[in-house]
Amino acid sequence: MSEAHAQPLASGGPADRAASRGRGVRALLVGIALLYVLVLIVAPLGGIIFYGLRSGLGAITDTFSQQDVVHAFYLTFVIMLIAVAVTTVLGLAVAFVLARDRFRGKSFLSALVNLPLAVSPVVVGLMAILLFGRGGWFEPFFTAQGIRIVFALPSMVLVTIFISIPFVIREIVPLLEELGTEEEQAAWTLGASRLQTFFRITLPNIRWGLFYGMALSAARSIGEVGAVLVVSGLLQGQTETATLYILRAFDQYQPERGYIVALMLAAFSILVLIGIETFKRRSLKRAGE
Amino acid sequence: MRRSRVILTALLAALVAVVTFTGCGGSDTASNASANSGSCTPSDSPVLTLAAYSNPYDAYGKLTSTFGAVWKEAHNGQQLIFQMSFGGSTTQAENIINGFQADVYASSLAPDIGLVEEEGLITHDWQSEQNGSIVQAGAVVFAVRPGNPKNIQNWNDLTQPGLQILTPDPSQSGGAKWNIVAAYGAAMRGEVPGYAKGSAEDAQRLLEGIFKNVTVLDKSANDSLKNFEAGNGDVAITYDYQAATSIAGGQEEEIAAPPSTVFIQTPTVVVDKNAQEHCVQPIAQKFVEYLHTPEAQEVFATVAHTRPVEITEAAKGTESVPPIDDLFTTDDIGGWDALINDTLFGPEGAFTQAFQAAKG
Amino acid sequence: MVADARSRIAGRARRDPGASSRWALRSTAFLYLGLFVLLPVAVILQRGYGSGLGNLEDALHSFGAWNAIRLTVVLAVVTAIVNGVFGTLLAYVLVRIPFPGREVVSAIVDLPFAIPTLVAGVMLVALYGPTSVVGGWFEDHGFKIIFAVPGILLALLFVTLPLVVRSVQPVLSELDREEEEAAHTLGAHGWTTFRKIVLPALRPAIVAGSLLVFARSLGEFGAIVFVAGNIPNQTLTAPVFITQLLSPGSYGQSGGPDQAAAVAGLLFGLAFIVVLLTEKLISGRLERTT
Repeated sequence: MSEAHAQPLASGGPADRAASRGRGVRALLVGIALLYVLVLIVAPLGGIIFYGLRSGLGAITDTFSQQDVVHAFYLTFVIMLIAVAVTTVLGLAVAFVLARDRFRGKSFLSALVNLPLAVSPVVVGLMAILLFGRGGWFEPFFTAQGIRIVFALPSMVLVTIFISIPFVIREIVPLLEELGTEEEQAAWTLGASRLQTFFRITLPNIRWGLFYGMALSAARSIGEVGAVLVVSGLLQGQTETATLYILRAFDQYQPERGYIVALMLAAFSILVLIGIETFKRRSLKRAGE
Repeated sequence: MRRSRVILTALLAALVAVVTFTGCGGSDTASNASANSGSCTPSDSPVLTLAAYSNPYDAYGKLTSTFGAVWKEAHNGQQLIFQMSFGGSTTQAENIINGFQADVYASSLAPDIGLVEEEGLITHDWQSEQNGSIVQAGAVVFAVRPGNPKNIQNWNDLTQPGLQILTPDPSQSGGAKWNIVAAYGAAMRGEVPGYAKGSAEDAQRLLEGIFKNVTVLDKSANDSLKNFEAGNGDVAITYDYQAATSIAGGQEEEIAAPPSTVFIQTPTVVVDKNAQEHCVQPIAQKFVEYLHTPEAQEVFATVAHTRPVEITEAAKGTESVPPIDDLFTTDDIGGWDALINDTLFGPEGAFTQAFQAAKG
Repeated sequence: MVADARSRIAGRARRDPGASSRWALRSTAFLYLGLFVLLPVAVILQRGYGSGLGNLEDALHSFGAWNAIRLTVVLAVVTAIVNGVFGTLLAYVLVRIPFPGREVVSAIVDLPFAIPTLVAGVMLVALYGPTSVVGGWFEDHGFKIIFAVPGILLALLFVTLPLVVRSVQPVLSELDREEEEAAHTLGAHGWTTFRKIVLPALRPAIVAGSLLVFARSLGEFGAIVFVAGNIPNQTLTAPVFITQLLSPGSYGQSGGPDQAAAVAGLLFGLAFIVVLLTEKLISGRLERTT
C-alpha cells in the first residue's frame, strides 16, 4: 500500500483499481445524494409546478386578475421589504458584535439570535397577541393612541421580522470572522472613519454573503404562514398575505389558484437565490482574472 | 464599493417610506369615526367587518353585496364597505375576544357566541331575537363514496372494524362538536341499534367505537371534508350543507343521512361593543335582520344549500339534502351548557372518556 | 520614526472612535434583540410561569400532552441526525464532486426555504399519501407514511435539509486540501482521509447545523399539521398540541393561552438550552485548539 506512490501508474495495477474504485464511490455518493434530494425536495416541487400549471395559462391570468390576489401579493411584498430592511440593518450590528466584540454572555446572544428558528409560528402569533391584544402588556398604550397592532398590518410585520431575524446574521458572522480586521485597521490608521471603512472596505467584502442572507430572509418572509395566520384576522383583500390567500383558496375549493400563487412565491424565491449565486460566481470569476 | 452603499441607503429609504406609508394604511382597515370623542359621526362610507365561520363564504359574499345595493338605494347613495373574514368558528370567537374588530359575528354554534358574550362584547339578548338569532340550519350526515360501498346507514355502522373515519378536531372546529353531539344525541334518544335509550354509558361506548376508527383529526370541518374528497378514508362526518355544496361543485360523493341526527343551528349576531365604537350599530343591526328575510334565506338555501331555519320544515329536506326522520336540537338533549361543561365535553363527559379510551 | 509617531497618534485616535462605535453597535444589537426576541419570550414565560408551575401541570394533564412532547423531541433528534448525515453528504457532493447539473442541485437544496411550509405539507400528502402511487404501495404493504410518524419525519426532513448543507458547505469549500493530499500520498484511501482529516474539520459546522435542525424541528407546524393526522398519543406533535391548548373546552381540558404559553416556553427553552450548551462546547473547543 505504501509503495504505491513510488511507482508509476501501471495499467491494471493497484493504483488504477484504487482510482476506479474512487470513481465508483464518488458516483455512488452522488447517486445517494441525488436520490435523497429527489424524493425529499424535487418531487414535492414538481408536484407544485404540475398542479400549478395544469390548468393552463388562462387560469394563471385569471388568478392574477383577481383583486384579492393582487392585494395579497402587494401585502406580502411590503411586509417582506420591511422585514428584510430591518433584519439587515440591525442584523449587521448584531453580526459585528458577535464577530468582533468580546464580552461575557456572547454565547447567550448567539443563542438568542437562533431562537426564532425554534419557536413555533403559532407561538409567535401568540406572543404578538399577548403583547398587543386585549389584556396585553402594551395594549392600553396603543389603543389610547388609536393604533391597531393585532389583526392589522403592524403585527403582521412584527411577527415576520421575528422569524426573519437569524438569516442575515448567520450568513455574515462567519464571513466577518474569516475576514479579520486587517484591512479595516489599515483604513483606520489612514484616517478613515468607522462608517467610511464600513461602506468602502467591509461591506464590499461581505457583499455576497449579505445579499444571500437577505435573499433567505426575503424567502422566509414571503413563505411565512403560521404566525400571520394567527395575528391577521384573515380580512379578505385587507390583511391577507399571499400565503393566507393560498390557505383560503384551498379552503374555498379553488385549489388551482392556490397552487398557482404557491408556484409564484416559490419561483420568486428560487429566482432570487439563483440570481445571487450566479452573480456571485461571475463576480468572483471576474475578481480572479 | 459605492454600489453597496447605494443599495443599503436605498433599502433604508424604502424602509422609512414603507413604514410611514403602511402606518397610514394600518389605520384604514378600521376607518370609521373614532369613539374617543363620545359622539358618533358616521363616515360617508361606513365599513362593516364580518367575522364568520369557514363555510358560508359564497353566501355572505352575495348577501353583503345585495344588502349593500339595497342600502345604497334607500340611503341616498351611501356606499357600505363590507370586510369579511372566514375561519374556524371558535378561532373567530377568540380573535374577537383578543381584539379583532368584528361588527357582526356569524358563528357555527351558540357556545362560541357565549364566549364572546362572556367578555362583555355582546350586550343584547341574542337568544330572544328573531329565530333565536339563527340564520342557517342543517344536519349532521355522513359523506360516503358513490354507491355507499361500506353501507353506512346509521351511527353504529361507523364502529365496524377497519373503517376509516374523518372528522375534525373538536378543540379547533365547531363542526367537530356538532358531529359528536349528533352521535351522542342519537344514541341517547335510543335511535341507534345496540345502544340503549337514555344510557350515557352506551352513548360513551358508541363514541369510543367511532373514534377508534378516526385516524386523522383535521383542524377544521372544511379540511376534513376536503381530505375525504382527496381520496382518504371511507366516510367523513360532516355538515350536510357542506357536502351538498361540494357535490354541487362536482365532487364525487354521496350523502348518507342517519335516521336520527342533530339539527345544526348557526347564529349570527351583532357584536355590540365593536359596532358601537365604529358607529355602525344601526347598520349592523339592519344587516342581521336582513339575514332573516325570505330573500336572504333563499340565498342561503340556493348558494349554501342550508335547510329552512324552522325545524319541522327542515326535517323534510330540500333539493340538496335528504329528509331526516328524527331531527333533534341540542336543547332536546340537555342544552349546550350541560353538553359542554358536563355530560359530553366535561371532564367526566361521555366524549372525553370515550376519546381517552379510544386513543389512550 | 515619523511613521512610528504617526501610528501612535493614529492608534490613540483609533481607540476613541473605536470605543464609541463599539458601544453604539452593542447598544443597537442589545436593543434590537431585546425588543424583538427577549420581550416576546418574556411575555410567554410570564404568562406561562408567572403564577408558578400550575399552568404547566394543568397543560401536561391534558390528554396526550406527554406523548406529544416526547414525540416532538424524539423526532427532532432523529431529524437532526438524519439530516446531519445526508446534509453533510450533500454538501460534500456539491463541493467536491463535479457532476452535470451541480449548480441546479445546489439551488434546489435551498428550496425548502422558499416554499411556504403549508404548501410543502399539502404536496407531501398528495405525493406520498394513501391515495398516491407511492404511498398506496407502502400502505398495502403495511407501512403508513402520511398520517403516521414517517410522514411527520418526511415533512421535518424536507423543511430542515438546507440548514446542515448551508452550514457545512462554506467550511468545506474553504478547507485547505494540503492535509488531504498529504494523506493521499501516504496511501490513505478516500474514506480514511475523509474520516480522519475532513470530518474533524467539519465537525463544528455539522454540529451547528444539526443543532439548528433540532431547534427548528421542535417548532414546525405548517408542514406537519396537514401531514400528521394529529391523533393524541400517536401522531400529535407539541406545536399542534399548543394550538389545541389555545381553544379551551375539549377533551375535558381547561386550556387557554396561559397553558399554551407554558408548554411553548418549555419547548423553546429546551431548544435554547441545547443550542447554548453546544455553542459553548464548540467555541470552547475551538479556543483550545487555536
